[in-house]
Amino acid sequence: MSTKEDVMSAKPKMLELKFTRTIPATPAEVFGAWLDPTHPGNPWTGAKKVIIDARVDGLFFFATAKDPSWPHYGRFLAVERNRRVQYAWMSPFTNGLESTVTVTFEKKGDDTLLTLTHAGLPDDDHGRLHEDGWNGCLGTFVGELGARAKG
Amino acid sequence: MDDLSTVLGAISHPSRRAILHRLAEGPARVTEIAAPFDMSLNAVSKHLKVLEGAGLVDREVQGRDHVIRFRGDPLRLVSDWVHEYQQFWTERLDSLEQFFKTKREKKGTKS
Repeated sequence: MSTKEDVMSAKPKMLELKFTRTIPATPAEVFGAWLDPTHPGNPWTGAKKVIIDARVDGLFFFATAKDPSWPHYGRFLAVERNRRVQYAWMSPFTNGLESTVTVTFEKKGDDTLLTLTHAGLPDDDHGRLHEDGWNGCLGTFVGELGARAKG
Repeated sequence: MDDLSTVLGAISHPSRRAILHRLAEGPARVTEIAAPFDMSLNAVSKHLKVLEGAGLVDREVQGRDHVIRFRGDPLRLVSDWVHEYQQFWTERLDSLEQFFKTKREKKGTKS
């Protein structure tokens, strides 16, 4: 019989990823680029298909370009023009659970400090925890060489 | 040390990553690997031994030549360890940052 402790420990471990970038543009430009899938350099760029209805309770869908293509569905939770956007995010990597992506755009002189947090990600074999410092460089390197290894 | 630590140790050195990039293009002799680098054959051999220990390369002896071949499988340990979205967001944010950098540079050269 399950005790309360068992139920607690059976709860999947969650992890939160956080990224910050200083983008050489105004918050309005960066915010605009973020929500317009036709904008070059847009975060949805490269997806096979993108549907975005960027208003509170608006839905989005995209499928990643690489094979296998992963479908992503979500719902906008907050859309504050030029300041902040937040959406619920579901994909095979969230195991059917809603994760939350929050992006803030903060003016820093001529630039914009972009902060992205992706919270509520299951910490399991589908997406292991990484440690600080092992970022893009390693990710890209492993991605490139790993792709060749699979090919 | 576990396998993941061995692989991470092997790819932690920029020269060894450069060697792997070269070998990912195709197998090569030790002298061919060393040619583009400002490194002695001895230093290259040491790096290759580390890569070999991690299973990232193997060698075939053909007469006097040692042909080194890239083996990518151990990198899967690393890619499994790095979160899928770590890579996803890094690529997306790189692309966004690069777009605006280029745009500002172009604007700067015009004025």
